Amino acid sequence: MSLREIEARVSAAKAEAEARGETFYPGASRVHLAAYPPKERWADWVELDSKAWPERVERRFMLVPTTCFNCESACGLLAYVDRETLEVRKFEGNPEHPGSRGRNCAKGPATVTQLVDPDRILHPLKRVGERGEGKWERVGWDEALDDIASRIRAAIDEDRREQVMYHVGRPGEDGFTERMLAAWGVDGHNSHTNICSSGARAGYHFWMGMDRPSPDHANAQVILLISSHLEAGHYFNPHAQRVMEGKANGAKLIVFDTRLSNTATHADHWLSTYPGSEAAVLLAVAAHLIRTGSYDAAFVERWWNWREYLEANHPGEPADFETFQRALVDLYEGYTFEFAAAESGVPEATVRAVAETVAQAGSRLSTHNWRSAAAGNLGGWQVARCLFLLNALAGAVAVPGGTYPNAWNKFVPRPIRMPSRHPQGWNDLTWPGDYPLSLMEMSFLLPHLTAERDGRLDVYFTRVYNPVWTNPDGFSWIEMLTDPTRIGLHVALTPTWNETAFFADYVLPMGHSAERHDLTSYEQYDGRWIGFRQPVLRTVRERLGESVADTRAANPGEVWEENEFWIELTWRIDPDGSRGLRKFFESRRQPGEKVTVDEYYGWIFENSVPGLPERAAREGVSPLEYMRRYGAFEIDRTVGPLHEAPVPEGELRDVQVDSAGRAFSREPAPPSDNVVPMPPLDGDGEGRRRVGVSVGGAVRRGFPTPSGRLEFWSPTLADWGWPEMAVPTYARSHVHPRNMDRDQMCLISTFRLPVQIHTRSANAKWLNEIAHTNPVWLHPRDAARIGVATGDLVRVETRIGRFVAKAWVTEGIHPGVAACSHHMGRWKLGDGWRADGSRRGRPATGGNDGRAAGARGGDGSSDGTSGGTPGARQAVATVELGREGDAWEMRRRNGTGPFASSDPDTARIWWADVGVHQNMTFPVQPDPVSGAHCWHQAVRIRRAAPEDRHGDIWVDTAKSRRVFREWLEMARPARDHSPDGTRRPYWLLRPVRPERAAFRLPAEDVAAGVGGKPGATGPGDGHAGAEDRDPGAEG
Amino acid sequence: MELLRALGSLVEEPSSEHRGVAGALGLPEPPSPAVHQRVVASQRWPYASVYLGQEGMMGGEARDRIAGFRRALGIERGPVRPASGVRPRPGVDPQRVRGVEGDPDRPASGVRPRLASASDAPGGSPEADHLAALLDLLAALDEWREAGGSGGRGAAARRALFSQAKATLVWEHLTPWLRPYLASFEGCGVPFYGAWTALLGRAVDAVETRLAEEGEFPDLLPAALRGVPGLPDPRRAGGDAFVTGLLAPARAGMVLVRDDLIRLAGEAGLACRAGERRYALAGLLAQAPGETLAWLARRAEEWRERLARRGPGRIAEWWSGRAGESARLLSHLAREAHP
Repeated sequence: MSLREIEARVSAAKAEAEARGETFYPGASRVHLAAYPPKERWADWVELDSKAWPERVERRFMLVPTTCFNCESACGLLAYVDRETLEVRKFEGNPEHPGSRGRNCAKGPATVTQLVDPDRILHPLKRVGERGEGKWERVGWDEALDDIASRIRAAIDEDRREQVMYHVGRPGEDGFTERMLAAWGVDGHNSHTNICSSGARAGYHFWMGMDRPSPDHANAQVILLISSHLEAGHYFNPHAQRVMEGKANGAKLIVFDTRLSNTATHADHWLSTYPGSEAAVLLAVAAHLIRTGSYDAAFVERWWNWREYLEANHPGEPADFETFQRALVDLYEGYTFEFAAAESGVPEATVRAVAETVAQAGSRLSTHNWRSAAAGNLGGWQVARCLFLLNALAGAVAVPGGTYPNAWNKFVPRPIRMPSRHPQGWNDLTWPGDYPLSLMEMSFLLPHLTAERDGRLDVYFTRVYNPVWTNPDGFSWIEMLTDPTRIGLHVALTPTWNETAFFADYVLPMGHSAERHDLTSYEQYDGRWIGFRQPVLRTVRERLGESVADTRAANPGEVWEENEFWIELTWRIDPDGSRGLRKFFESRRQPGEKVTVDEYYGWIFENSVPGLPERAAREGVSPLEYMRRYGAFEIDRTVGPLHEAPVPEGELRDVQVDSAGRAFSREPAPPSDNVVPMPPLDGDGEGRRRVGVSVGGAVRRGFPTPSGRLEFWSPTLADWGWPEMAVPTYARSHVHPRNMDRDQMCLISTFRLPVQIHTRSANAKWLNEIAHTNPVWLHPRDAARIGVATGDLVRVETRIGRFVAKAWVTEGIHPGVAACSHHMGRWKLGDGWRADGSRRGRPATGGNDGRAAGARGGDGSSDGTSGGTPGARQAVATVELGREGDAWEMRRRNGTGPFASSDPDTARIWWADVGVHQNMTFPVQPDPVSGAHCWHQAVRIRRAAPEDRHGDIWVDTAKSRRVFREWLEMARPARDHSPDGTRRPYWLLRPVRPERAAFRLPAEDVAAGVGGKPGATGPGDGHAGAEDRDPGAEG
Repeated sequence: MELLRALGSLVEEPSSEHRGVAGALGLPEPPSPAVHQRVVASQRWPYASVYLGQEGMMGGEARDRIAGFRRALGIERGPVRPASGVRPRPGVDPQRVRGVEGDPDRPASGVRPRLASASDAPGGSPEADHLAALLDLLAALDEWREAGGSGGRGAAARRALFSQAKATLVWEHLTPWLRPYLASFEGCGVPFYGAWTALLGRAVDAVETRLAEEGEFPDLLPAALRGVPGLPDPRRAGGDAFVTGLLAPARAGMVLVRDDLIRLAGEAGLACRAGERRYALAGLLAQAPGETLAWLARRAEEWRERLARRGPGRIAEWWSGRAGESARLLSHLAREAHP
């Protein structure tokens, strides 16, 4: 046969296979470890049983995709479900997932260890003793639901809606609970974000109206990371793989990290900046770009709000670009390399080299800051603002290799029902007027605000969240949670025991990633995708012909998923529909019936995801079947610079362009399938909506900021009392050497190891074995001064208490700085505890003491309560808790150790050290602008005293309150600084946005002296933004 | 060019899909993964760098050269995804280099080059010189050429660029090592690989011949072969360098797989020590240097002839000549060992 004939044959065979939806070649990556089973064989995949080796025993699997739940990245997983036993045997990556592309970090495959953890919670539990006493009884879901629903119903009926709060740790489905709370009319959303990313996000938000960066690392020439994104940063796995691609393509990697992190080891330039000095270095780089003219002046002229800046700050000078360029030079001329070096401790030559490297990147500069410096420092949000300044100077915004705004690379499909109602009230516990510019809820102040402002929550949900352990000032949280006058009913929705659940009234078991539904989408490259998390055993049973109406029927024990839970709870709150809540969770197909998750997602996939129905049809399946089969769908790639996109003619009617170039149109916004949150921008007061900005002779989309442009100068900051912070600038942190005593050091705690899952690591044995402790990093110089060596105990004294930890002496830390990873130091009470402090917790009897293997019964279905004391055992210390007034102490009784259980591996635990819970000794330190907690601590470190034991903690909560008040003094409250009589700028993003009228400051605050600028758009002016008039919403 | 892509896929570990691919090519059924492991994965590594590098190992300059070629083409290294495959990197102006009209991040309509496997693994370059990746790239270049050069402004220039890239790929990165690699399968005892090497040899010959007729090849030898020193003389370079050279095909002019050493030991009545080839070969030389050197000399001579049979051309001549040089040196050394 001729080569031509063979060529034709093989081409035809390939075309036929692909037409059938099959893979012709055996995957695109058969080389080495990057091999995946071909997708057409996922229904029946055969592998040899590794445990049967050397026998060749075949096992048949059904491969079912789901989405990882162990961080926010939402990477794709493939669950290998044994067709014989219907057990999940392992998880690997899902090659069909556009974000993670089949790759996972250790946390993904470790999901299987969470599923089989012998201490997981399998049934609903109700407290029978005092809070924290550790006495529980198993109850039915019906009992729990009815109890909770009746209390919420009463709160709604009695107009106490602000007493219902949902506090979320690990987010699940984009917007689900926000919509649910909106449907309830409850301004009760509370997130963990202000102890996490909100500092950086505030910086981004003030610049571009969107609050997260979407860096295109893979195509960058220079990648600048503030923090350790290759190992633990946000979207760690999807971004890390793209950072490495960028490096493979020749990109230079610049890393700012006080520690020699794994990411820093990959850097071309590692800058071990003194904590808080990052913005100074970034501004020195910016100044270099400005001074040398190495910036994209055309982009700056086109897209910055420089005219606004000149008008407000240089009145009387010509409002032309040349004047602005001169002003820019003047503004940043003081940020010399020498200055940056003095502030940061980084050699001047290194700063210069970095500046020159950045200057060479052109628009291919991808940058990222998530937590790290932005989360550590007073004024940390300016780090992100200064970082994005580099992008904005370079024109590296929404171009290949640059940084995109997140909302353009994210797709939140319109749900089956979209409540149009908004809460009428304003929750002062989460959005206190002291912090009008706070990006997110002031969640970590909750104990202080409830205590000092007479706050009460009648129903408080903590949902996959553990504030006692995760938040600063954990003892104040315990004080709140054990105070029935402040917390009426505490419901912990959690897959695993945690320090907060100990103090709950109900502990309700929620599923891990393979046991729940969620729809996710995250900005991980310039494209948009959705990922589907699904209960894999339910899907398997359905594929095998069973009908599963309730996920509990397929999950282990009585573990539920949240969507069904919330639907059911809402129906019980509003059983006859008279309160108007139930209708948002009713079926479309069968009006008056409860919507099922199948209908809910089926509707979304059929109606709200462009391209998905067509793609599914090509494979001969429904969109829901397609998503259950593949777990992800890429909607589009290369979204590009949307700000440049001309507004279509069809959206332009009777257009008015104001003097600032903002364009308004009478044409209503067309319906959109994508309901990703965007700032609501005011109309022109004459019935026109904001439609874009006039640039280059055309009306373009622009940015969702008040000016429609990138806001180099933020009129919002200037108008709300922070004019000195309105441009990207450097403010000295609370841990700047000038602000500390000579014997103090800065302690950084804003990092973790890549194998840890916040509060759920303790139930993942593989991860525990890899990493289970958190020593204090000390530079040899500091260690010598203190007189300790690696392994010695040190006392770390904060402003409110102290903890005892082990020292790790390393040159991988900036001298004068100590570091201690969070995510470690998990604990449980030995034998319960009483709220009045009359009895100390005693160590658990009969086992779990780190020594006696097999001393405790482990039947694998104990809900972690066997032996009387709940909690995980793998990586959790047993402690005694003592209290005398405001003085608290936690004494470590023992660490972990081997124990017998349904999992033989627990008898092989070889480590005892589980680290120290340092966060308990940190006071709250809210940034007065962003509202973010400033994690870095000014501490004194000394050798431990003879009586100190590793992990011991002492805290005085009276001191906590004093520090809270000190930081509160720095705030500039709305009552004193609001320019228009409102509590908060209306355009700022806010989960569960209340009615516009609720933005109005209370009358007493207005009387206290709020000005209200002439001409400012006031509340309730009838010109709410388009987002408030969602045409698809249901009233 | 699907033919080359399909042939490339067959060097990977066999799976059920390979049956279909082999069937379409008219080849016998692929062997079991265990046979593939024995014949290919453990002995005949399909990486250019093994055959062109001075140490006979994966990586190094030979791989970097190919990775650089890929970078110059602006090929994205990211996604490992079935049926999507490689995309030219957005960083490269598609109109100037890639020859694809319209969306810079999408290959032209209908073009979904697979670019295997290998080269799109994270980081890209670690697998850039894998045979499947090279053949896939060769196929992709043809597809891009057809898709991007069909019309519009600069179409002819784009066609020329892709033609040039294809000639470079074949001359510099594929044929310099492919013939000795395919020749190493002779006598492996697996009919599938006999048929596969024959068909692949035919297919590449056809490409090479056509490019040569079109005058696309330069006068110089491929860079990878220029300046590669021959087999070092142990009397001057020492025993270690000698053993290293024997196991580096570009220096010895022959491919010595582990089965060869076992055969050597059997024929010479020696014990082949368990261990990697270098250890085993050093052991044989220590046990009976004369017999071992004589056997190696005969083997080099066989390779000279084997390579000479694999077609005319400067590259084949270079390899054949290199094997002949080695045969002469080894014969001389053998005589010295057993005067």
